[in-house]
Amino acid sequence: MILKNLSKGDFRELKVVNGKRFLISLLSLLVFSLFFHVSVGAQENSDCLQCHENAEMCGDFGETKKARIDPETGDLEIVSMIVDQEAFATSIHGKDDFYCIDCHGDLEESEGMHNLNLKRVDCATFCHDDPAASYRDSNHVKLMKEKGFSPPTCKGCHIGLAFHQSTWGKERPMFVPYADGPEHRKMTINTCGNCHKEHLASYKNNFHGQVAALGVTTKEIPTCADCHGSHDILNSSNPDSQMGIKNRIEVCGKCHIGADEKFVMHIEHPRIKEIGFYKSLVSNLLSFKNFPEGLKKVGKDPNSYLMIVFVGYIGLLTMLFSKFGLHSLLTWFREIMDERKGKDKDHE
Amino acid sequence: MSDNTFYMRFSLFHRLGHFLTIISFFGLVLTGMPLVFKDAAWARWLYEVMGGYPTAGIIHRFCAVLTFLVAFVHFLWLSYNIGVKNKGNYLWGADSLIPNPKDLEDVLGDIKWFFGLGPRPRYGKWIYWEKIEYLSLMWGTIVMAVSGLILWYPVQAVKFVPGFLAQIIDLPSLALIVHRYEGILAAVFIFTIHFIHTHLLPDKVPVDEAMFTGRVTEHDLIHERGTQYDMLVKENKLHELKATPPSCMASFGCKLIGIPLLIIGLVVSALMIAGLLVLLI
Ligand code: HEC
Ligand code: HEC
Ligand code: HEC
Ligand code: HEC
Ligand code: HEC
Ligand code: HEC
Repeated sequence: MILKNLSKGDFRELKVVNGKRFLISLLSLLVFSLFFHVSVGAQENSDCLQCHENAEMCGDFGETKKARIDPETGDLEIVSMIVDQEAFATSIHGKDDFYCIDCHGDLEESEGMHNLNLKRVDCATFCHDDPAASYRDSNHVKLMKEKGFSPPTCKGCHIGLAFHQSTWGKERPMFVPYADGPEHRKMTINTCGNCHKEHLASYKNNFHGQVAALGVTTKEIPTCADCHGSHDILNSSNPDSQMGIKNRIEVCGKCHIGADEKFVMHIEHPRIKEIGFYKSLVSNLLSFKNFPEGLKKVGKDPNSYLMIVFVGYIGLLTMLFSKFGLHSLLTWFREIMDERKGKDKDHE
Repeated sequence: MSDNTFYMRFSLFHRLGHFLTIISFFGLVLTGMPLVFKDAAWARWLYEVMGGYPTAGIIHRFCAVLTFLVAFVHFLWLSYNIGVKNKGNYLWGADSLIPNPKDLEDVLGDIKWFFGLGPRPRYGKWIYWEKIEYLSLMWGTIVMAVSGLILWYPVQAVKFVPGFLAQIIDLPSLALIVHRYEGILAAVFIFTIHFIHTHLLPDKVPVDEAMFTGRVTEHDLIHERGTQYDMLVKENKLHELKATPPSCMASFGCKLIGIPLLIIGLVVSALMIAGLLVLLI
């Protein structure tokens, strides 16, 4: 339905209906550009914002909301055409005096109303070829493809970052001005966590993740990307990885002054709540006669000791509370019975 | 046997200690538990109410130091009394908090009483479950203090792990697990078992004021701690403990502070138990 509305035919109809207003707005645009001494040809931000900040102006030519199919992921998305200039100005790109046409390149020559089927903004080719290349060639992307995931696009991980409050409307998170802003960092945890569910859960089982899960995602609390890197992620067993033992000292040391080899042995992803881990542990323990290596493996895994303490405490908790709970209830019950008996005696 | 005769049970020193423990304990639980149940909406709300990051952490540390100080002063007092004033009866006997054979009798007597096979035992100065609560508080404070310090200074703490163990013993993670579950244990224990035993039994509801005003009525003393009463009468010491009745204001103050704390404790422990069950399922 919506898509049909957006077809060009509809637009022509709208144009007829709103013909007069279109002329008026063109006129006002001209007057405006005179005021601001705009060089003819190149578009100032204010030219675009004439329409894009103003729901009425935008609405006159079509809709303030638009349904669109993301060419990369094929998702249907509903986006708003209204750009909040103030929010844009505080974003990383807005702050750096970018022109709208720097990114919306195919509008460079246009003036006033423009072609509505624009090319998607290309972040990678001209501006961010640096992370783009290392991301595409990274081992991480290769692994994703091998395992049958479609690797997220730049915009998939940086929702709202480069764009405008309008871009995602109400359905998506709010406008995110900076890559290291708390909103973006929260999104990072979710994007990584979508594919790495177990590691997200175990991350939240540790102090860093507990605080992050409570909504604190400022730079003081490490998110996945602080430890593993953002675009070029390698396995922690790889010495080049940010989580390789040597590099780890430096990464942890940013926040933990004096971090040394011993400190970075800390388990960031404890496995005490993984059912699979218990199963392998038990089978290793049971088959230790035929397979002594298994026992050695268990003994060398720091997670085993965490698990013993964890299970011990769960046992203690259940035992203690079942015993004392019963004790309290029985005492309570008996006291009431005794009281009643006492009262009966008083009556006699 | 009247409700108007009062006897002193807790000195000001102990009441003050208990009061400070209450304050710091609530501070610790309210700032610590949100971290454990971080996925629940109430946890996020509570964390914000307690000041969020890093304020909640600072409150937590402040209360931790307070708890530690109270426990430390208590131990000083104990060693002074035992070592200098030679009060051996604090270590063993009717006045001591260390369990003795009479407690075993009381436990067995209680079990009979539960099933209606006998009268309620006549307890001494300290009932066996009071001893268990006291001893587990002391043990718990030590465990929480040690594991808490490791988490407070993780970088320094791992320096104490010998090199050959560093590969397999992850001290901060162990401390975190111990701190978390010992904390849950202590909080739920105090907020349910301790509250029921001392405040919510039909005799006492809503607040047992003894620990706040320091006084018990003669009726309660005979009814609850018959053995102690008999002994005091026999040793002719009862009149020494006689005290003025607590003022109306003190009694009102107890309820004013006690009842909200009871409610907060019960609500928090209900939320925690619900959260724990979800974790286990
Ligand atoms: C005369 C008013 C007007 C001006 C001036 C204008 N636009 Fe638009 N623009 C619109 C309208 C109306 C739509 C939405 C039409 C629709 O519903 O499809 C739109 C849509 C867009 C879109 C979304 C296209 C898509 O593919 O979904 C972009 C991007 C855009 N404008 C950027 C700009 C930029 C950059 C400028 C300045 C160079 C600018 N516009 C100037 C009226 C204007
Ligand atoms: C898997 C998710 C993901 C994808 C895909 C992704 N990024 Fe990033 N990007 C991040 C994270 C995480 C950060 C770091 C944010 C922070 O500092 O907390 C980041 C940071 C950045 C930065 C800030 C400076 C820097 O290099 O650290 C730029 C620029 C950037 N990304 C561009 C891109 C471009 C261009 C693409 C598309 C090729 C892309 N990103 C794809 C996750 C991603
Ligand atoms: C740093 C690059 C950049 C700048 C500068 C920029 N935009 Fe955009 N804009 C984007 C991106 C990325 C999108 C998302 C759609 C896409 O992928 O093409 C977008 C989308 C839009 C949309 C469509 C809404 C949507 O969610 O798709 C409008 C309208 C728009 N921009 C207007 C403007 C206007 C007006 C300005 C100037 C004030 C401007 N843009 C400046 C990058 C930019
Ligand atoms: C589209 C899904 C997807 C997303 C999003 C994703 N990953 Fe991965 N990642 C994978 C797959 C698939 C692997 C292959 C290993 C596996 O089977 O788990 C992998 C592997 C890894 C590895 C191990 C690398 C190796 O060489 O073994 C790390 C570390 C990692 N991801 C961290 C992250 C972080 C941090 C983020 C967020 C910035 C992230 N991932 C986002 C799918 C994803
Ligand atoms: C404080 C640093 C830190 C944070 C934050 C962190 N990790 Fe890790 N991660 C590690 C370390 C160290 C390892 C190495 C193995 C271990 O200790 O469990 C690891 C291992 C992994 C692995 C297994 C592959 C490998 O490289 O060993 C994946 C996948 C992973 N992390 C994903 C994530 C995701 C997803 C997040 C965010 C939800 C995250 N990590 C947050 C430090 C971190
Ligand atoms: C972005 C900063 C940051 C980074 C990077 C970071 N941490 Fe932390 N970490 C913290 C903060 C903040 C705390 C809480 C400190 C406090 O409040 O006492 C903490 C607490 C800890 C604790 C004690 C609590 C617990 O979970 O047991 C350990 C251990 C720890 N970090 C290990 C590490 C290791 C190992 C690394 C490197 C893989 C690392 N951290 C990287 C910020 C960071």
